Amino acid sequence: MTDFTLDHVIIAVRDLDAATADFAALLGRSPSWRGEHPQYGTRNTLFRIDNTYIELLGLGGGSGDPRWSGEIARFLDAHGEGVYALALGTSDVDATARDMRERGLEVINPADGEGIDIDTGARREWRNAMVSLKSTNGTRLFFIQHKSPVDALPAAPVVAGEGAHVQRMDHAVVLSADMEASRRLWGDALGARLALDRTFPERNTRILFYRLRDITIEISGGAQQTEEGLGKPDRLWGLAWGVGNVEATCARLRAAGIEVSGPRRGIKPGTLVATVKGEHAHGVAMLLIEHTPESFKPESRQPHGEAFDNTPQSRAFAVKALDHVVVSTADLDATAATWASTLALHASESLQPEGAHFKLAKLPAGNAFVELIQPLTADHRVARTIAERGQGMYSISIEVDSLDAAVADLRAKGVAVSEPEPGIWAGTRVARINKSAANGVSVQLIERPKAPLRSQGQ
Amino acid sequence: MIQKIHHVGVVVRDMEQAMRFYRDTLGLPVHKLETIQEQGVRAALLTIGNSEIELLEPVVPDTGVARYLERKGEGLHHICFQVDDVERDLATLKMRGTEMIDQQTRIGLAGRICFLHPSAMDGALVELCQPLDDGHTS
Repeated sequence: MTDFTLDHVIIAVRDLDAATADFAALLGRSPSWRGEHPQYGTRNTLFRIDNTYIELLGLGGGSGDPRWSGEIARFLDAHGEGVYALALGTSDVDATARDMRERGLEVINPADGEGIDIDTGARREWRNAMVSLKSTNGTRLFFIQHKSPVDALPAAPVVAGEGAHVQRMDHAVVLSADMEASRRLWGDALGARLALDRTFPERNTRILFYRLRDITIEISGGAQQTEEGLGKPDRLWGLAWGVGNVEATCARLRAAGIEVSGPRRGIKPGTLVATVKGEHAHGVAMLLIEHTPESFKPESRQPHGEAFDNTPQSRAFAVKALDHVVVSTADLDATAATWASTLALHASESLQPEGAHFKLAKLPAGNAFVELIQPLTADHRVARTIAERGQGMYSISIEVDSLDAAVADLRAKGVAVSEPEPGIWAGTRVARINKSAANGVSVQLIERPKAPLRSQGQ
Repeated sequence: MIQKIHHVGVVVRDMEQAMRFYRDTLGLPVHKLETIQEQGVRAALLTIGNSEIELLEPVVPDTGVARYLERKGEGLHHICFQVDDVERDLATLKMRGTEMIDQQTRIGLAGRICFLHPSAMDGALVELCQPLDDGHTS
């Protein structure tokens, strides 16, 4: 398992001095570093915030290696300013390069690099390895191992008032047209932990959250994968900054002439958010986010965790309810006594149908009931299942509005279903879906007599 | 005090494939899909009447669900009963010497939960849950 950090985020800018002034205002911090890369032909400004650092990268500072400067020039021409690359931190870049090649990423050979601070003359050294854009769906990524100590890059001094500066990066947003390819990159190749997969049908959006320590990489795409999207490159789109007080931050930014909308409630419960707009954002979609104690509660994942696509499919029947759950036992009386004493679920009925090779007990449990079943012959299907899997959870019975319609519909869709027959419980008719169609679950379909007589429950 | 059958848990090898049967063929609407990293599972909750079916796909090896899949294959895994006070029920069960998997309640997909040990229930894996206040079907 890999454990990358989001070491830093690179933002390509045209005018480094103007961008430095804007970001200092946005972040409420002065730069940590202003430097140049003689070997790359680039200049930069760095802001170390609490959990990563931001690199504003522009051209200049010597001719350098055209692999870097030429690439940035092309990026600016093609896309304009914006998030350019993500640098993933590792403690051994050579080992990482080998691992990642094994996982199918095309990693360019690691190389040493250094930066010089133009004000202090300080040097920082690292070793990094770029990943070919072909193997990352267009997200510029590289791995970096810092050789200088962490404090070689000091924290960007806070100049804003209480709660009004950017403390940390909350998440980075990647727009994806090919969600499966993004999942292969972040999940399979990079081994980042998938924390959420949620679809919002009404907004035609699906999001995946991958965690790099406390920073989330949010992959955002359409609710449905389109044919045209397959193979299209991803785009590094935006950054969300964690602040102590979003209202104070908005007020400070407005006073500095930066356009902000909000604050408003975030999608994640307990959060307050605001959006930074206009030219001061330098092509980066920016969100300010304030977490409250509520948004950190695990409970708040509840409404945050839905995910799916309930595609309407036509059916000739409707499932009404979970009717009962069948639990197998080799000794009905003993197991009924256990359920009664442990869970206070008591048998309301017991029966051994005439000529049948099993006996049953019904334990009502509110909306449905538990049926305990004991096979009385060794070749009964319940006995065979007990022999194979042990006694315990056996099958479920689901109530449908029309058994005949359900059986016909399922068979038409290729699902093997037995002929309808009278059920054990009074007035019912049942049919059985082959467990190979239902992920190993033995599923009974049951139709109960229409009102007024319902024998279900108490 | 048991109020109802909250859900039954089904272990599946491939969530997408399982969805094709439970969601698409049976028409049970999914109302939650989430990866719970601490438990190493991707879980989907599908509504069935006033109960639920929980599909569980192991995403990391060597968890309870992953071992179940390896040993027994796909299938019906557990039954979860909704109770009005899970802390009190757990305390009562422990006091009576019922063997528990969880010695303390914890937060799961269904709310505050605990699992009894299957040996306490003649082989059936039973979960108790007390849904949290927000939104969960109950």
